[in-house]
Amino acid sequence: MSQSRILTFNIFRYDPQQPGDKPAMVQYQLEETPGMTVFIALNRLRAEQDPSLQFDFVCRAGICGSCAMVINGFPTLACRTLTAKYADGNITLMPLPGFELIGDLSVNTGKFMRELAERLKLWLHPDETQHDIHLIEKPMDPEEAAKLYELERCVECGVCVSACATAQMRDTFVGAVGMMKIARFELDSRDARSAEDFYHVIGTQDGVFGCMTLLGCQDNCPKDLPHMQQIAYLRRKMAGTLITISKA
Amino acid sequence: MKLIYTDALVVGAGLAGLRVAIAAKERGLDTLVLSLIPAKRSHSAAAQGGMQASLGNTTKGDGDNEDVHFQDTVKGSDWGCDQTVARMFAHCAPKAVRQMANWGVPWTRVTAGPRQVVVNAERITIEEAKAAHGLINARDFGGTKKWRTCYTADGTGHSLLYAVDNKAISLDIPVHERIEALKIIHDGKRCHGVIARCLITGELRAYIAKSTTIATGGYGRIYEVSTNAIICEGVGQALALETGVATLGNMEAVQFHPTAIVPVGILTTEGCRGDGGLLRDRNGHRFMPDYEPEKKELASRDVVSRRMTEHMRKGLGVDSPYGPHLWLDITLLGRKHIETNLREVKEICENFLGIDPADEWIPVRPTQHYSMGGIRTKPTGESPQLTGLFSVGEAACWDMHGFNRLGGNSLAETVVGGMIIGSYVADFCEQQDLVVDTALVNQFASELQGEIDTLCSGGAGENAFELKSLMQRIMMDHVGIFRNGPELEVAVTELKELLQRSQNIKLKCTKRHANPELVEALRVRRMIKVALTVACGALARTESRGAHAREDYPQRNDKDWLCRTLASWPDADALTPTLSYEQLDVMQMELPPGYRGYGADNAIAHPDTAKRQDEIATIVAGLGSNASREQVQQAIMPFELPQPLRAGNQRLHDSFAKSASAANDATFSKGGKNS
Amino acid sequence: MAIKSSIRKLSAWLDLSQSLSGVILAVFLWTHLVLVSSILLGGDAMNWVARNMELSFLSSDGHGYPWVVTCIAISIAAIALVHVIVALQKLPMSLRQQRALQQQIQVINHGDTRLWRWQAITGVVILLLLPVHLWLIGSSPETIGPLGSAARIWNQGVWMVYLPLLLMVELHAAIGIYRVALKWGAARNLNTRSRLRKIKTIMSVVFVALGVASLLAFLPHAG
Repeated sequence: MSQSRILTFNIFRYDPQQPGDKPAMVQYQLEETPGMTVFIALNRLRAEQDPSLQFDFVCRAGICGSCAMVINGFPTLACRTLTAKYADGNITLMPLPGFELIGDLSVNTGKFMRELAERLKLWLHPDETQHDIHLIEKPMDPEEAAKLYELERCVECGVCVSACATAQMRDTFVGAVGMMKIARFELDSRDARSAEDFYHVIGTQDGVFGCMTLLGCQDNCPKDLPHMQQIAYLRRKMAGTLITISKA
Repeated sequence: MKLIYTDALVVGAGLAGLRVAIAAKERGLDTLVLSLIPAKRSHSAAAQGGMQASLGNTTKGDGDNEDVHFQDTVKGSDWGCDQTVARMFAHCAPKAVRQMANWGVPWTRVTAGPRQVVVNAERITIEEAKAAHGLINARDFGGTKKWRTCYTADGTGHSLLYAVDNKAISLDIPVHERIEALKIIHDGKRCHGVIARCLITGELRAYIAKSTTIATGGYGRIYEVSTNAIICEGVGQALALETGVATLGNMEAVQFHPTAIVPVGILTTEGCRGDGGLLRDRNGHRFMPDYEPEKKELASRDVVSRRMTEHMRKGLGVDSPYGPHLWLDITLLGRKHIETNLREVKEICENFLGIDPADEWIPVRPTQHYSMGGIRTKPTGESPQLTGLFSVGEAACWDMHGFNRLGGNSLAETVVGGMIIGSYVADFCEQQDLVVDTALVNQFASELQGEIDTLCSGGAGENAFELKSLMQRIMMDHVGIFRNGPELEVAVTELKELLQRSQNIKLKCTKRHANPELVEALRVRRMIKVALTVACGALARTESRGAHAREDYPQRNDKDWLCRTLASWPDADALTPTLSYEQLDVMQMELPPGYRGYGADNAIAHPDTAKRQDEIATIVAGLGSNASREQVQQAIMPFELPQPLRAGNQRLHDSFAKSASAANDATFSKGGKNS
Repeated sequence: MAIKSSIRKLSAWLDLSQSLSGVILAVFLWTHLVLVSSILLGGDAMNWVARNMELSFLSSDGHGYPWVVTCIAISIAAIALVHVIVALQKLPMSLRQQRALQQQIQVINHGDTRLWRWQAITGVVILLLLPVHLWLIGSSPETIGPLGSAARIWNQGVWMVYLPLLLMVELHAAIGIYRVALKWGAARNLNTRSRLRKIKTIMSVVFVALGVASLLAFLPHAG
C-alpha cells in the first residue's frame, strides 16, 4: 500500500423529524486505510466526527441487503464497496430514491418490501394439503431446485426500485423485486397458482405491462439477478393468457 | 406511553423468533414480533452452509439416523450439552427440514447416478441411488460421522429465512420493525413483556404479553472482530441479566470459526472444507493431518481453530499487515463447483479481497463466530427463574451445543428449536391469563426514561463509541481462543472499570428521536455486563472444554467441572455477575463422557462414568436382542416432546432395511468414513 | 377446439399494441426511407418507384392511382395515433411524475434510462411534426415524384420540417426497436443486449445519413 490518501465524502444529510431541518450535502474528510469499505468509512465518521449520522448496516458482508445507497451515481451495497475503487478520492453518498426517508442515508426499505409481499402474496401457495413432515419428502427435480435458488437470491435491498424510473414515477409499480419473486413462485412446481392467477396480480399497468424495459434493475442489481430475462418471460407468459385455447 | 397487548410476544425476527411466532399464530394466538431491522435482514440469512438433519438420502449419509446425529452433537459439545435437549433436537431435525420444503425452501436435491466429490484432497466418484433422486441432498461438515448437512447451494440461511418470513407474512403476523426492547417487565417471578424504544421516533412503548420470547441471537459483537452481523450485540442476554433473576448459561462458551477472511472477519462457510477445501501454511503445506490424522480439516471447529492458532504461534502463519493468517485452498474443487455451490464465498472473495478463489488461496484465520451461551432455559424453552420468559435460538442456552457447536447445528437449532419451543409457548399462552399491572409497567418505563434523560442531559462525560471499542479490544486480547488466569484477571479488572465509566456516558447528539449515538449508549453499558459474564465465567472455569481452552488447565475435568455455569446480576450496582453452577448428572446421560474422536484425549474422568456405562449395558441387555433402537433409547434416557412431534422419521434406508435388516446393520456399524 | 380471447385484460392489450404499432411504424419508416433514397440513383429511378407506389402497373394508362398514397398516409396516421395514445400512458404526465423522473436521472447514472428520456422527447417532437408531413403528402398524393418532392422540400422550405423530423424519427425508431426486442425477451444474456445496443446506434446513424443524403439529392431537381 502506498501513502494513505485523504478521502472526501459528500453526504446527503436531512432529518425529516427535526423541525426546520433542510436537505443538504455535507462534506467530510477521512484518511483512507487499506481495504477500507464505505461501511468502515461511515462508521468511523460517525464515531469520530458526527455521532448523529444515520445509515443502516447489518451483516456488512453483502448478504442482508440493508445498506443500499447511491454511491457516485450508482445504487449499490455500501458494505462491499471498496473506497479504493474511486481514483480521485471523492465519494458522494445519497439515500436510495423512492423510499421513505428515515434520515440521512437511512431509508425504510423494510416497510416497502413487507407491503409489497402482502399485496402480491409473495409466499408459496402449496398445491395440496401439506405433505406429512414425518414421511420422506416429495422429490423435486434437482434442476428445478437449482433454478429456484437462482431466482431466490434477491436480498430485497431496494436497488432495483431506486434504479427504475418507472417505479419513481409511479408509486404503485411493483418493480423488479416484485416481478422476480412472482417469477420464482411461477417456476415452483409446489405452487398451485396458475398463469391466470398471476395475471390478476401482475398483469397490470402496475405490474409487468407497466414496465418500460429501462433495465435499471438489471444494470444495478448487486446479486446479478436475471431481471431482463425474467420480466420478458413474465410478459410473454401474461400476454399468453390473452388467448386461451381449450379443447372443449 | 402506548401500551400494546398480545398473547405471544417475540423479540427478534430471525429464524428462531419467527418460527416461534408462527407456531403461536397457528394455534390461533395473537402474536407480535419486535425487530431491530426488517425480518429478512436478520443474521440468520448469513448462514451459508446448511442445517443438519439425519435424512440419510445421499449415499454418504446412508445409515444416518437420530442416534448418530445425537452422538455427534454430544461429542461436539464436549459433553457440555443437555443430552435430553440434544435428543429432542436430533429427533425433530428431519421434520423441520421437510416442513421447510413444504414452506418453499428449494433444498438442493440428489441426482441419481455417479457424481464427483472431493474427499481428503482426492476426487472420488460416488453413486447416488435411483430411489434417492430428487430427495434432499446433504454435504459433509466438521465433526459429523455422516454427510448430514442439508443445504441450498450456499445460501441456506437466506432461503430458510425468506421461506419462514414469507410464511409469517402469509399468516399476517405483524413484525414491528426498528423497535428495540430495552427492559423486561417482571415482578421477580413472572415476566409480563418488555419496554421498547422505536428507533425512528424514539417513542417508548410497553408491549404486554402472556409469553415473552427472546430470540435476539448471539453476543459476538462484544469482540472486535467477529463474523456476526453488527446487530448481534447481546442486548437480549443483557435484558434477561438485568432482571436480576433470570440466569445466563455457559456464557464463556464462545466459538471461534476457523475460516473467516482477513482482515474483515467475514465468514467463508465450513462447506468449503466440507466439500474438500484444505488449510495450508506459509509454505503451502497442508498442516491439519499433522495434528488431526483422522478428521484433518473436518475435526470440530474448536479443535481446528486451536490447531490453526497453534500452527501460527510456531511462526508458520503468513505475515500480513493485520497479523499472521493461514490459507484456505478451494482451488482444487474446480471453478464449476465454486460458481454454483460456493457462490457466496466467491462473491465475498471478489468484493472484499479482490481475489478469485477458483485460482487463488483465501487468507483466513479463526474469528469469533458463535455464542453457545445465552439465556438459560428448561427443555421447554422457558426460563427456570422467570415464568413466561422464553428464549430460543442462539440467544438461548437451551443447551444442545454445550461447549462447542457443530457446523450446521445452529441453523438447525433455529427452526427445530423454534418448532418445539413454539409449541410450548403456545401451550403456555393457552393456559395463562394476561396480567396487566400498570404500576409495574410504569416503574420499568420510568427507569428507562430516566436512563435516556440522563444520557441526553448534556455536559461532559464518557464517549459511548470509545467505551465500546475498548470493551471489544479487551475481549479480543484477553478472552480469545486460548485463555489463561492472568489474562482473564486483566480482562475482568478492565471490564469492571469500563462498566463504572459507562455510568457516566454523555451524548454529544441529544436528539430523542432517531439518534445513533443514543442507541449506542443504551447498548454499550448492557454489552459490558454481558462481556463480564463471559470473562468471569471463563476465569472461574479452571478446565478446558470444547471452545473454552485454558492454557493453564489444558485438561477437560469431568470430575470437577461437568457443570453448566449460570450467571445472574441480582445487585444492579454490582460490577460483576454472580456465578453459580448446575451439575450435569452422568447417571442420567445416554452417552456418558468419553473421548470425542478428535483433539486431545486427556480428560479427567467423572467418578460416575464407569457406573453409568455398566448401568446402560445392563439396561440394553435386559431389553433383549429384538428391541428396536427407539426402544433402547427410551429405556436409557426417555425424553418428552409435544405430541405432534413425537412420531418417528421415515427414511429411505428404513424401507430397504425391512427386507435386508442384517445388511443394514452392517452398514450402520461401520459408522462412517473414519472409523 | 375453441379459441377464446380475453378483452378484459386491457393492460396486456395496451402493451402489446404499443409494441406492435411501434414495430409496424419502424418497418414502414425504414422501407419508406429506402424508397425515397432512390433519388440518389437519379430522378428516373425515383419516378419508377413513385409510379409503382401509385400502383401504375394496374392501371391501363400507366398513370396509377395517387389516392393509394393518401390511403397509406391515412393508415400510417391511424397506426401512429394508436401508438401515441398507448404510449402516453407511460409518459410522466403530471408535474409530480416529471419531477420524480428529473430527480432520479440526476441522482442515478443510468444509460438506458437517459436513452428512454430521449425516446420520450423525440416522441413528443414527432407528434408535432409528423402530422405536417402526413398532411402534405396525403393531400397532394400526386407530388411524390422527384420534381414534386424537390419543389416541396427546397422551394417551399419544408426541409425545415423534414430535417428535424428525420433526426427525431430515426433516433426514436431505433431505440424503440431495441427496447421492444429486450422487452419481449430477444436478448437471452447481456452480451446479446450490448450487441443489440450497437446495432441500434448503427441503424440510427445509417438512416440519418441516408435521409440527409436524399434530402440533398433533391436539390438539383428543385427549379
